[in-house]
Amino acid sequence: MISYTVKRLFGILVTLLLLSILTFALTRLVPGTPWGANAQIPLSAEQEAIFRQRYGLDRPVIEQYLVWLRNAVLLDFGRPFTAPELSVTELIGKALPYSVIVGGIACLFALAIGVILGMVAAAARNSWLDNLVTSYAVIIAAVPSFVLAYILAYFFAAQWRLLPSGGWGGPQHLVLPVIAYGLPVTGGVARWTRQCLVDTMSSDYVRTAYAKGLRQVAVIARHVLRNALIPMITSFLPLFPGMMTGSIFIEVVFGLPGLGRYFVQSSSNRDYPLVLGITIFWAVLIMLTYFITDVLYGIIDPRVRITERK
Amino acid sequence: MTSTALPTATPADKPVRYASFWAGAWRRFRRNRLAIFGLVFVVFIIAIAVLAPVLTPYPYDKINPIQALMPPSIEHPLGTDNLGRDLLSRIMFGARPMLIVGISVNILALLVGVPLGLIAGYAGGVVDWIVSRFIDMFSALPWYLIVLFLVMVLSPSIQNMIVALAVTSWVGSARLVRGMTFSIREQDFIEATQALGLPTPRVLALHVLPQIAPLLLWSFAASIPGIVFAEAGLSFLGMGVRPPTPSWGQMLQEAAGYWQYWPHIFLVPGLMIALTVLAFQGLADGLREALDVNVNV
Repeated sequence: MISYTVKRLFGILVTLLLLSILTFALTRLVPGTPWGANAQIPLSAEQEAIFRQRYGLDRPVIEQYLVWLRNAVLLDFGRPFTAPELSVTELIGKALPYSVIVGGIACLFALAIGVILGMVAAAARNSWLDNLVTSYAVIIAAVPSFVLAYILAYFFAAQWRLLPSGGWGGPQHLVLPVIAYGLPVTGGVARWTRQCLVDTMSSDYVRTAYAKGLRQVAVIARHVLRNALIPMITSFLPLFPGMMTGSIFIEVVFGLPGLGRYFVQSSSNRDYPLVLGITIFWAVLIMLTYFITDVLYGIIDPRVRITERK
Repeated sequence: MTSTALPTATPADKPVRYASFWAGAWRRFRRNRLAIFGLVFVVFIIAIAVLAPVLTPYPYDKINPIQALMPPSIEHPLGTDNLGRDLLSRIMFGARPMLIVGISVNILALLVGVPLGLIAGYAGGVVDWIVSRFIDMFSALPWYLIVLFLVMVLSPSIQNMIVALAVTSWVGSARLVRGMTFSIREQDFIEATQALGLPTPRVLALHVLPQIAPLLLWSFAASIPGIVFAEAGLSFLGMGVRPPTPSWGQMLQEAAGYWQYWPHIFLVPGLMIALTVLAFQGLADGLREALDVNVNV
């Protein structure tokens, strides 16, 4: 178990290093900054030179990277080109809570609805109810969240005036973003839950449990759930960071001041330190969850430790 | 899927049921209703995209401010947008970027992913470890992170969107091909080719690749929905198809300021995206059953 953990951790560090080299190289190899005669912030050549010097862009690229890497390890990603009054780390800290709240609640919502639907479908296997749930799951997953967002906003905000169509405030501001973001995800969750439960229910040891005379409640609680939960947990845990970081579209539609909107803004402004910082920060967050999931998987399911990856 | 070469009806008295692997695949494919819907809709979309200049009632960029934001009518079956442009014409032309991006990203991804997967899976060892780290790096991150980053660096346009999406899409085919090659390598006929002293490139191209072909056909259809979402999402954020060229995502972006007036300006492009995604998923599901592709999704 320890060697497996160390091996995974090493792999993650190599991957992160690779990612940081690639993204850093890309920002430095391509000409263009937010400054200059035709850029977002018009400056004369001399002023631009001053800015380049201040941000260390006049040094050799390798030196720039090593300085950036040293600072990044200490969680200092520099200062954004376009908003130098805050550091990148402070900006991330300011915007992150919005993304975490919207993404986290949407994820919980999607899991609650999806798991219930999946359990209903698995219990009523091959019935009209199962077909209904499966059809719902396939169709809802095909709707982009930002389309659903407009549909919901049109009816609930513009037509019936029940809920605000954007901004940040009380819990009523969260309802539409959470539903629009979470509902398409329920499709995948429901299908996976159904699949895990059906697979387990048709396995030999469940048949044995029935054969030795256990009641259905006991079979489900002791044999089906325990085994079906393993693939469910390992698939659903990475949903959390995935949805916390992936709320870009929802944040744009509803005007939420989250990290995704900063990323889009800084992307169109060519604000390299901010984009680089957000990219690496997200990558660390997501890979850490995968790592925890893998280790957890190893703890829950002893078979993983022995076979590992072929 | 050329149906002309395949027997559409098999007489019951014939002893040989399946003429070939592909004929059997077509029989299995036909049984899946969602797959047939997918096939029909995909053909429909391709026809619309190809014939758009002939079929559209108006030029997609013809502005008519007097008729702006009109509901569906006989003159404009799907209504008009904020500049009075005919939505039906724009929807039809909007199918083009979707298909162009979907097909070119897939081809680029296969060109990179298949050789890498073959080499990594066949060689194993250090080569496999390095390729796997690259696969890890791209698959651990959400696509839009890398794609937005690349589009930002390269500046938004349809070509750069294709390049950026290809950079993230090769991972899927590389992982699939690597896994398949791993198991094929262990089979007897590969040992036989080694015993005969065939050069490795020949073994890969003539003995391993044909075994993977059904998998690749499935993965081509299965990866389109993701690319459609990506194209729509990027264009929606203003990072993809540039106005005045219409794409469904770009139409949604333009609808963003007017969503409270009429639902059809975002419902129609949204519905087209959803139907296209469903169609390709149905097609992919049908292909998976028909071609007997084993994938752990």
